[in-house]
Amino acid sequence: MDKETVLKVARVARLRLTDEELERYAADLEDILTAFSVLDEAPGAEDFDLGPIKVEDVFREDEVITSIDASELREVMGTKEDWVRGPRLS
Amino acid sequence: MSFFPSAAWLKELDEKHQLFTERLEDPLAFEGGQFHFSAKDNLCARDFQARAGSLILKGYRPPFDATPIKRLRENGGLLLGKTNMDEYGFGSFSTNSAYGIPRNPFDIERCCGGSSGGAAATASLIRDHVALGVSTGGSISCPSSFCGVVGLTPTYGRVSRWGLIDYGNSLDKVGLISRTVRDIEQYLPVIAGPDHRDPTSQVQPPLDLRGEVRTVGVPEEARTGLSPEVAGAFEEALRDLQRSGIVVREVRMPSLRFAISTYYILATSEASTNLARYCGMRFGAMNENFDQGFNDFFSDTRSRDFGTEAKRRILLGTFSRMVGFRNKYYVKALQVRKQIIRDYQKVMEDCDVVLTPTMPFVAPRFDEIERMKPLEMYQADYLTCPPNLTGMPHLSIPCGYAHGMPIGMQAVAPHWQEGTLLSFARSWEGSFHYRFPEVAE
Repeated sequence: MDKETVLKVARVARLRLTDEELERYAADLEDILTAFSVLDEAPGAEDFDLGPIKVEDVFREDEVITSIDASELREVMGTKEDWVRGPRLS
Repeated sequence: MSFFPSAAWLKELDEKHQLFTERLEDPLAFEGGQFHFSAKDNLCARDFQARAGSLILKGYRPPFDATPIKRLRENGGLLLGKTNMDEYGFGSFSTNSAYGIPRNPFDIERCCGGSSGGAAATASLIRDHVALGVSTGGSISCPSSFCGVVGLTPTYGRVSRWGLIDYGNSLDKVGLISRTVRDIEQYLPVIAGPDHRDPTSQVQPPLDLRGEVRTVGVPEEARTGLSPEVAGAFEEALRDLQRSGIVVREVRMPSLRFAISTYYILATSEASTNLARYCGMRFGAMNENFDQGFNDFFSDTRSRDFGTEAKRRILLGTFSRMVGFRNKYYVKALQVRKQIIRDYQKVMEDCDVVLTPTMPFVAPRFDEIERMKPLEMYQADYLTCPPNLTGMPHLSIPCGYAHGMPIGMQAVAPHWQEGTLLSFARSWEGSFHYRFPEVAE
């Protein structure tokens, strides 16, 4: 794991890292991934699940309720004239 | 960084604590089935901030109660406050919080364990208190062991996660920490049960508090790497169990050696996607610099307000899911998790529970933690990661003391059999003498 790879991963994750951070994380991740290569010795399997228990679909009738008052949500979100504010899409 | 407390700040702190102790000491406040509880700070509750130990959530006040909190409040529970934790649950010592570090009530130079460290310390300090904890890879067992209390991590899906700030969705479980099994037995039925807002809670069979333990399986793999104090206390506990008529069977679980890698790959993969939502918009730390392009806008807040360990786990998880590495890490870890579940199920054909020490050592001192490398910290979880990967219920209970510090053992039962664990703990509690921190007595 070199600094360039960490930089690439950090960009994907929207993290801006200092040079010192890049170096530190490169060394840490190298250590961690080397230890994790023990998984290469683990037997693979044909099948796998995304969770530890089986989840089944449970259906119910639709019911109109107010879950959370919208005005409370707008307050928490710091809206301006009821608009959620965000950056320019440029 | 130096810190000079202002008089106003000290006064505020003093008043806050006074309110807290007055509440606890007022016998009238808890008449008629009322009780007090606390909640780990990644569970949302009205009237409190929910920061999950992270600066990026500073100031966030959820306008709703998480289901477990709602159910406790509806049943006479008074929420005293939120407990400190490692940022998003990322840690085994509660040293990764942006809001200070909780200290172990048995020795303030030592950690509480993590990531529900504040919850375990609170449960240890306050009599008849029940603390809501959350475990992804051992965050209830570990601090319970270090703080000398009982911690139950229910089956994955037993308790609704609605209102929980996610870490790893296929791993997160809400549970209970308290001084005794009695309290846990009392409040588990309150928080358990289906909730239409969490689909994983919909498939559970009814909770049955009964159970019986005749045989415990002790994996050979869990007896290595222990400190002499923990090994001694655990072997003594096994002898006590045998004297009480329980059969102790040695078993082999070869897949346990893959648990750490499997856990950290799955947990960080899931965390790195969950944490994508924290970007300076909508809640918590808000970026007001709207003229920026969105990449810069998001990166600003995330780079400034995520802590060191959060960034490390985001990087690890993002890498594990990237094209070219996904099959080697993420998909392989999913396959290995299934194998670990099968290993437990096989042992459970002949044993009622799988029993190990909870942590390989007693609560470490802060100077020891400072010298540990990230990988060493991860590896300390080799006894708590396996049951968490399987989604099976497990319980940590004090089994001994060394130099004044508590030591815990951890029992794991088949899916949905919380009753088996509670019955085991009840019978252990009947003959074991608990110690509580002097400061609390």
